[in-house]
Amino acid sequence: MLNRRDFLTAVAAGGSVLALPRIAMGDDTKPAKPSERTLVLLHLNGGNDGLNTVIPYKHRRYRTLRPGIALDRGRVHKVSDDLGFHPALNGFRDLWNRDRLAVINGVGYPNPNYSHFRATEIWFTAEPEKSPTYGWLGRTIDTKPSEKPLRAIALQKEQPLSLVAGSPGVVTMTDFGRFRVPSGLDEVTKLYKEYGKLEGTQGKVGQAGEQAIRVAERIARLRPADGPFYARLGQDLRKVIALLRADLGLECIQLSMGGYDTHANQSASHNRLLAELGNNLNAYQQQLERLGVADRVTTVVFSEFGRRATENLSGGTDHGSAGPVFVIGKGLNPGFHGAYPSLDDLDRENFKYTTDFRRVYASVLSHAYRMDPKPVVGAYEPLDLFAS
Amino acid sequence: MPKLLEGPRAIGHLLRRAGFGPDSASWETYAGRTDYDAVVDELLAALDTKPEPDPDGFDPFVPGAIQQLWLERMVSGRNALAEKLALFWHGHFATSNTKVKDAALMWAQYKLFRGAGGGRFEDLVLGVSRDVAMIRWLDGNANRKGHANENYARELQELFTLGIGEYTEEDIREIARAFTGWGSRHHEFVFREHFHDKGEKTFHGETGAFGGEDVVKILVGLPACPRFLARKLLAWFSHPEPTKDEVEAVAEAFRAADGDIKTTLGAIFRSETFRSPKSYRALVKGPVEFCVGALRAAGRSTVPAWIHGGLDRMGQILFQPPSVKGWTSGTGWLSSGAVVERLRIAQRVAAGATTDATSRVIDLAFQNDVPDPLKTTLETVSGKKRITVALGSPEFQLA
Repeated sequence: MLNRRDFLTAVAAGGSVLALPRIAMGDDTKPAKPSERTLVLLHLNGGNDGLNTVIPYKHRRYRTLRPGIALDRGRVHKVSDDLGFHPALNGFRDLWNRDRLAVINGVGYPNPNYSHFRATEIWFTAEPEKSPTYGWLGRTIDTKPSEKPLRAIALQKEQPLSLVAGSPGVVTMTDFGRFRVPSGLDEVTKLYKEYGKLEGTQGKVGQAGEQAIRVAERIARLRPADGPFYARLGQDLRKVIALLRADLGLECIQLSMGGYDTHANQSASHNRLLAELGNNLNAYQQQLERLGVADRVTTVVFSEFGRRATENLSGGTDHGSAGPVFVIGKGLNPGFHGAYPSLDDLDRENFKYTTDFRRVYASVLSHAYRMDPKPVVGAYEPLDLFAS
Repeated sequence: MPKLLEGPRAIGHLLRRAGFGPDSASWETYAGRTDYDAVVDELLAALDTKPEPDPDGFDPFVPGAIQQLWLERMVSGRNALAEKLALFWHGHFATSNTKVKDAALMWAQYKLFRGAGGGRFEDLVLGVSRDVAMIRWLDGNANRKGHANENYARELQELFTLGIGEYTEEDIREIARAFTGWGSRHHEFVFREHFHDKGEKTFHGETGAFGGEDVVKILVGLPACPRFLARKLLAWFSHPEPTKDEVEAVAEAFRAADGDIKTTLGAIFRSETFRSPKSYRALVKGPVEFCVGALRAAGRSTVPAWIHGGLDRMGQILFQPPSVKGWTSGTGWLSSGAVVERLRIAQRVAAGATTDATSRVIDLAFQNDVPDPLKTTLETVSGKKRITVALGSPEFQLA
C-alpha cells in the first residue's frame, strides 16, 4: 500500500488523485460525511440446532440426548475446554482464530414459543408480550427521523417484520438489475407521489411506489462482488458486499438463509447448511476487511429458536428454545459470552435460556447505532460484546 | 349508517373481490345490473361447478405446467370466484412444492380446494388432513405412536382452524397422538394402524381414544374456529383489519350455515360493511391478482410465459408459498422491488394490447370508475402508454 510520501510523489509525478483508492489518501481527505455503521442481520430460518452447532463435546449427556446424531468428539473444532464448533464450521473456526467471532450461548426469552412464526415475530419485534406492530429495527430507525429514501434493505422477497417502521427508507429487494425503472414513465412516478399524500391504503401504495422509484436508479447500477462464494447465501453475501462498498449510508441489511427446520434426517442437511454458513461468512468478512469497510460493519447471525435437546425418531430434532447467537466483525471482545444452557436441567426436553435476546439487541444498538437501547428494547443491560 | 355502494360501482367492487376483476364478456353481462343480490347468487353458483378436467396431454411434471394452467383458469375460466377461493385456501393451508417435490400432488391439492372449497369447512379440513401433499409438507409419515411428530398438530390449530393463543402445548402433543399413523404411500393416503396410538387423549377439555377425524370435528366446533376463519375471510374478501363486531357477524353466519363456506361468503358479500365505502378499493392486490386482473382487462385469454418470472420477483409463485403461514398481504406486497416489477408488467401487458382498444382496457381495469388524480393524468397520455399508466398506477394496485 502507498504511504503518505509515495502518495505525494505519485501526485507530483502526474498521477491522478482520483485514480487512487480513498484509503490511500490518509487523513487529509475525510469523506464529506462520516459513513453510517451498518448492521448486517442474518436469520437462520427454521430454527437452527444450537446443540449441534456449538457442541459441549465433553458433556456426558450430549451423547445420551443425541444417540443417533451426536457429532464425533474427534471431529469437533474444539475452541475451548468444553465447547467446539460443528465439524463443518471451518469458517467459524477461522473467524474465531482471527478474533472476529463472538458467540453468545443460550440466548432466548421467558416462556419460549415453539411456533416458527410466533417465535420469529418475537425475535423480529423484541416484544414477546404484544401482538406485532413495528419491528425492533423499524423502531430503531424511527428513533432517528430522516427523509433519506434508503436506510435499510431486506435482501429477500418479502419485507421482514423486523424492518417494519413508521418512517420511510426500508427497501425490500432480491436483485439489483430488477430495480431499473422502465423509462418514460414520469406520469406514473408522479401519480405515486400524489397518492402518497392520500389517506389509508391509497396513501400507503403511493408512498411505497414513490420510494421504490427514487432508490431504484441508484441500486440498479450495482454489481454483486466477486469472491469464493457459493450457494444461495453466497449469492446474497455478494450483494451485501456490493451494497456496503457503495457506501449508501445503510443502517441495516437483513437477509435470511433457509433450511434449518430439520425434523428428519438432519445430519447430512445440517452439515451442508453449516458448511455454507461458515465458509461464506468467513470469505465475506475477509473481503470486507480487504475493501476497508469492515470497521463500519457488524454482522449478527441468529435463529428464531434452537431445537429440542433430545433427537426424534426420524433422525431429526423438533422445535426447541434457546440457542447461540453469533456476532462477526472487527473490534469485538471475541470468544464465548453467556453461560451454555444446562444439559441436565431441561424444561421438558428443552433448554432453559441463560441470556435474554434483548441483551444482544441492546449491545448491538449501543455499539452499531451509538444509541440508548432502552426506548427500543427496554431496560436490558448490554453485553460486553464490543471492545470499542 | 354509511351510504351503500350502488350500481356499477357496487358491481365492479363485487367482481374485483369475487374474482379478479371483469373481462370483456363478464362486464357486458353484469355492468348494467341493478339487482345486486341476484348477481351475488350467480357468482356464488360458480362454487357448485366441478373443476374443469385437465386438458389432454397435461403433464404436471413439466416445470411451470401447474402454475400455467391455474393462471389460465383465473384469466379465462368462467368460474372466477371458485378460482379466487381456491387461491385463498392455497394461502390458508399453504403447502409448498419446495418440500413436497411432486407437482402431481400439488395439483391434486389444488383440485381439493377447487372442488371442496365452497363446501363445509369441516369436510375441507378433513380432506386437507388426508391430502398427500399436506402429509409430506408437515411430516405426517414421521408421526408414529410413541414418537409423535407435532408439526401438523401445531399448524392445524395455529394456522388452519383456531389461531395463535387458542391452544396449549399440551393440546398439540395430544392432537399429534391422535393423528399418528396418518401417512401416505406414493400418491395415496394410508392409515397405518400399527403406528396409531389407540390410547386416550385429552385436549380442549375432551377426553377419548380420539383419532384424526375426531380432532377435526372438535376443533371446528370450538368457538375460536368460526371467528378465526371469519377474520381471515373478511381480510381477504372485504377489508383489512375487520372489527370484532364484523367478525362476530360473519362467524354467526358460518355457525348458522353449519360451517358452509358458500353461505358464509354470501353473507359477506351481502353485508353492509362489504358494500360500504370503507371496503371500496381498500385491499392491495397480491401479485397473482394484479397479473390476472391486468391480463383480463387487456383482453388476453392466454397467459404469457414471462409472467412467471415477474411473479417470482414479486414473491408469489403458485404452489411455492414462502412458509406454512402463507403469503403476506396488504402493504406487505408493496416492497420496493415488487412495485418496480409491477410497472414493468404494466408496460409489457400494454405492449401486447391493440392501440384502438385502449379505452376499453381502462374501462375494464377500473369498471368505469376512474378517480382523480388518475383521471386527469390519463387525459394527458395517449396510445399504449395510457394502458401502461393505468395498470401501473397506484389505483390499479387496489382491489
